Amino acid sequence: MKEYDAVVIGGGPAGMAAAEVLGDQVKTLILDENDMLGGQLVKQTHKFFGDHAHYASTRGFEIANKFIDKIEKKPVDILTSSTVIGIYPQNTVAYVKDGHEDQVKYKKLIIATGAMERQLPFINSDLPGVYGAGAVQTLMNQYGIFPGKRFLIIGSGNIGLILAYQLAQTGVEVRAIVEALDKIGGYEVHANKAKRLGIPIFLKHTIIKAIGDESVQGAVIAEVDDKFNVIAGTEKEIVADTICISVGLMPITELAEQAKCKIVYIPELGGYVPVHDERMRTTNPDVFVAGDLSSIEEATTAMIEGKLAAMQIVEDVKKTDLEKEISNEIKTLAIFRSGPKSLKIRSGLEKMGIVTPQIEVPKFSPLPNSENGKLHAIIECTEEIPCNSCELACKFDAIKVGENINTPPVFDPLKCTGCAVCVTACPGLAIFMEKLDESPNATLGIPYEFLPLPKSNEKMWGMDRDGNYVCDLTVKRVVKNSNKTHIVYVELPKEFVDVVRHVTYPQKESPFVCRCEEITVDQIEKVIDSGITDFEEIKRITRVTMGPCGGKNCKMITLGIISRKTGIPISKLSHGTSRPPVKPVEFSAFLRGDKK
Amino acid sequence: MEGRILDHPILNFTRKKRVKIFFEGNEIEAYEGETVAVALHAAGIKVLRYTPINGRPAGLFCAVGKCSSCLMEIDGMPNVRSCMTKVKAGMQIRRQHEKGELV
Repeated sequence: MKEYDAVVIGGGPAGMAAAEVLGDQVKTLILDENDMLGGQLVKQTHKFFGDHAHYASTRGFEIANKFIDKIEKKPVDILTSSTVIGIYPQNTVAYVKDGHEDQVKYKKLIIATGAMERQLPFINSDLPGVYGAGAVQTLMNQYGIFPGKRFLIIGSGNIGLILAYQLAQTGVEVRAIVEALDKIGGYEVHANKAKRLGIPIFLKHTIIKAIGDESVQGAVIAEVDDKFNVIAGTEKEIVADTICISVGLMPITELAEQAKCKIVYIPELGGYVPVHDERMRTTNPDVFVAGDLSSIEEATTAMIEGKLAAMQIVEDVKKTDLEKEISNEIKTLAIFRSGPKSLKIRSGLEKMGIVTPQIEVPKFSPLPNSENGKLHAIIECTEEIPCNSCELACKFDAIKVGENINTPPVFDPLKCTGCAVCVTACPGLAIFMEKLDESPNATLGIPYEFLPLPKSNEKMWGMDRDGNYVCDLTVKRVVKNSNKTHIVYVELPKEFVDVVRHVTYPQKESPFVCRCEEITVDQIEKVIDSGITDFEEIKRITRVTMGPCGGKNCKMITLGIISRKTGIPISKLSHGTSRPPVKPVEFSAFLRGDKK
Repeated sequence: MEGRILDHPILNFTRKKRVKIFFEGNEIEAYEGETVAVALHAAGIKVLRYTPINGRPAGLFCAVGKCSSCLMEIDGMPNVRSCMTKVKAGMQIRRQHEKGELV
């Protein structure tokens, strides 16, 4: 049986970060069930928060690729498509690859098996078309499949919010995000990205039922009270063919249990978790955990935990002194956990005896955001998020985050040169560009990650932070960026520059008036707006009432539109001349004499 | 390519070799590297089995091999996780009824 100094189970951010450290130092094997390393990163298309050392502003799948490149260059044995099925006595890992069971021995083991999605019981939750949010990401971002056409998302944590945005990027319809709490669970910037696309977030709502026979056709949602009981009479139906559940994750502890690690129930960390110290060692001295298995957090913290576990193993196996490096990583981890959004994690870890000092997040009084006449950034990032992508991006010192990366950025418009590099770097897409001068129009730059990419001089609609129409505007120029966050600069009336946060192509949907000739209300209104108000004229121009039904169905609606637009009562309008035949008949009916 | 994303603002999907696989005896489009569940979804097939006790339709749920909702009969073998099984030329896939049958 092969024996390794270190075996890592799970090739996500924690496992990969561990393998990267272990690779040069000790004989290492990394096992993963999937056909490539990367874990959940491979299906993440958004840019990650963080700092320079932890791939800030890099998209998830690109982080995975960078890691894979690094690990493949090291003397690490990599076994993909290998499913670990158990941990046996005498430090033995059993796995199945290509249909055959095999075993390896380890001196030290890192279990980084991650988490799985929490289930949510509701009627018909087993119906095809109800998915975990991660499944939808797998289908959509990893395999390029449309899982449906109309989506309902349950849960407004970061995964639900990000998923809503990612779905919209593929052009499908996201009907709503439903959240049982009275506030949005995820980061504000992620919520804003979804909201400005017009995706409603129903707070204090839950799903009661999926509707459908063989697969989902809709859902019943309802309001809940403070105790999460459904308030009768508030039920509403939503048409959707796909329901995505994103109500949190829970650690996958089975292998840790089999490795004789003590498991405790700490809800703040995600449920059952292996007891571990701040160097990620479990109650079994040969076994370490890292990543979501140890506490449900971010990919960044998972990477740090993986590194920590790996460094400790190198110390154990090689007796080298890595105390300085280890204490640095512990400090970094503490900084990532020092923001208010990590309060739950901090209190959960305390129950395990790991005290994370709450580092004071310094508050700066924000500098004025705008200055006339010059193109400059507007930063809309007010929450404490562990990220300093904007500061790293700015080469002119106009953006300051400071030592604690949870500090919201402080912006100095006088130093801003208008280069807009921060707009493309910001993972929260929370930075815009603005130029105000004496003219009645302003210039606004908006980060844009949709298809098709607008072109100069195109007319578009300006949408507000909730996705409502604000004004028509004109695209001035489009700056393409290699990281796929492009910037669309638009010209719009000055008064809307602080209101518009998204641009969209005019939505042409208009009700049909005439089903024979397929004429919409919009088309008729346009003719009336051009000054033509006579029914006969409108008929000749649009062909309304001239189809096979002879106007039986659409004449009254057309007259109603004319009346509404002109203020003339229908009784005073001319309503055309009726001519035979009043029903469709074959031409042959009119033939006389010899039918040949 | 029905059901497959062709243009994406962030990602490039390059499909590998086309392979012939069969669902309930009918050929469906599939590409090397795709899982069985993915190819079926692209073809609009969401019901992957009928449950053993209540005979209810079931489909993909977690897509990462953790929930066992997507069990199918693949090349005569029942209870195969279709989300973790890559397509192979000539593969015969059937909806699983009850607990499936070893053919």
